[in-house]
Amino acid sequence: MSRILAMVVGNKEIMPATHVVRLRVGPIGGQASPGQFLHIRCGDGHDPLLRRPMSVYRTEGDVIEILVRTMGKGSAWLNDRRIGDELDCLGPQGRGFRLDPMARHLLFVGGGHGVAPLIGLAEQALAKGSSVTLAVGASTASLVFPAGLLPAQVEYLVATDDGSAGYRGMVTDLVEDWLGWADAIYGYGQTPTVEALADKMQRRVPRKPGQVALEERMACSTGACLSCMVEMRRGQLRACVDGPVFDIYQVAWDQRTA
Amino acid sequence: MSGVASLGAQDAYEGALSSVDLSVEIGVNAKVPLILKNPVMAASGTFGYGVEYAKLIDVQRFGAIVSKSITVHANRGHRGPRIVETPAGMLNAIGLQNVGVRRVIKEMAPIWAQWDVPVVVNIAGETAGDYARMAADLDGVPGVSGLELNISCPNVWEGGQVVGEDAAAAGAITHDVRAHTGLPVIVKLSPGVADIRGVARAAEAAGADAISLINTLVGMKIDTRTARPALAHGTGGLSGPAIHPIAVWLVYLVSQEVNVPVVGIGGVASPDDAVEFMLAGASAVQVGTSTFVEPNTAIEIIDRLPEVVRSRGYQSVRNLVGLAHPADPAVAAP
Repeated sequence: MSRILAMVVGNKEIMPATHVVRLRVGPIGGQASPGQFLHIRCGDGHDPLLRRPMSVYRTEGDVIEILVRTMGKGSAWLNDRRIGDELDCLGPQGRGFRLDPMARHLLFVGGGHGVAPLIGLAEQALAKGSSVTLAVGASTASLVFPAGLLPAQVEYLVATDDGSAGYRGMVTDLVEDWLGWADAIYGYGQTPTVEALADKMQRRVPRKPGQVALEERMACSTGACLSCMVEMRRGQLRACVDGPVFDIYQVAWDQRTA
Repeated sequence: MSGVASLGAQDAYEGALSSVDLSVEIGVNAKVPLILKNPVMAASGTFGYGVEYAKLIDVQRFGAIVSKSITVHANRGHRGPRIVETPAGMLNAIGLQNVGVRRVIKEMAPIWAQWDVPVVVNIAGETAGDYARMAADLDGVPGVSGLELNISCPNVWEGGQVVGEDAAAAGAITHDVRAHTGLPVIVKLSPGVADIRGVARAAEAAGADAISLINTLVGMKIDTRTARPALAHGTGGLSGPAIHPIAVWLVYLVSQEVNVPVVGIGGVASPDDAVEFMLAGASAVQVGTSTFVEPNTAIEIIDRLPEVVRSRGYQSVRNLVGLAHPADPAVAAP
């Protein structure tokens, strides 16, 4: 963990209200992995007050990219940044996804904008010669991550709540037939998506390697405030420093509040 | 020539700053007084056990660190969501999650004993008897330099601040703790009481070495999409810059009521906020929520204080304390 003054070197809207913000962070960029996050101060006033955790989307040399959807004051501020602006960041924070070196067939399951780190991870897996299927769920077609921004080798599956693109229903139902094919499964997104994924894996493919990143509200990102506790089968862990990526079987899913 | 002269002036100025006395003493009558090298402390609940932030900032620079509240038994805390942001502040309902007094003594105190910075352990009772029990357990433990009594956590007891609301109960607990420890005892007050001066007087009369205030204020945020409270616990404690004016007012009141040092807590985000507390009558301040936002907040205050003291023509930070009180001619002057 360290303090970084990151310079905005790109900011592009890739879909409605969603930007890829490119940050030059220096040498630390090469050490960041998808699933880790930057804890970014949004402005220098008291409102918004708290830093915002932004997941690492992709890394490229000394650059970290984050995918920001405008949800509130902090994300709106981030998406308004211009090239040359400097951002006060802590990071990279937390533990990211770890690619299983033995896995040849990888399944990535994401909900909403939780897809970001999975794309960076998919690119790493492809570079190692693995086969990758990426399945994403969204409420409607306009919120689905554009296929054109994915590597061509990725098999891309889409589910929408309203059926306006791809499968109509939950992404976790869509991927049922891929659970057996996959050697390892990685999930990220809002609570209902990762909970449904964990539930399906435990029933259909118990013991298959799986990791999920959990989105918890946090204040400090250093492990001090205990805002982001995750109930585990044994004890409790902090999403900010012990996660946000956890082994899917270690999380006590039945003790989570949806 | 002029360059040399101004360099000399700069040296003299910096020399004057380094000679400014920032030290503060708490617990003059305690067996082992708590000497703070500067009046800036990390507030309980925002700094873990000190070890977490030690990876990011130089925690040895602090005047003192106050641990998060500990209880007799380990506590898992409340379900999430535990925090929510509010305008210029945040609500928290962590639920006093902690490892329990035994593990603090076994695992944390040995680390603190290696540190320059004194660590004050904040203790919270689930019953009145817990306070004395923990005070006895922590007495004489190397690495523990003082106690802060959390008689006012808004998140634990059903119905809120059972103990802190009652001057007699606050006095009884303080008395009980005093009888079981030679450590300096700081009593932390809640703002959510009818007569905070009465509680402060009772704590002082019962042997408190200092009074710290304020704890968080009880609040609630409702998620308008779900029509449910945003925190799983329902209510939470409000902290951050939003509560600073309330804290300044209560420090101003209480510091004129008691003779022991007062420690100002609540929304300190800048050197100016800290100075405001001192002018209101605080001998020291604690930095809490702002550490989450800017981990260097406390260190920036420590670095800036000598200049503030010098600019008023003083030698010691103690000269600032209570300057805003009405009886003081410095305030009466136009």
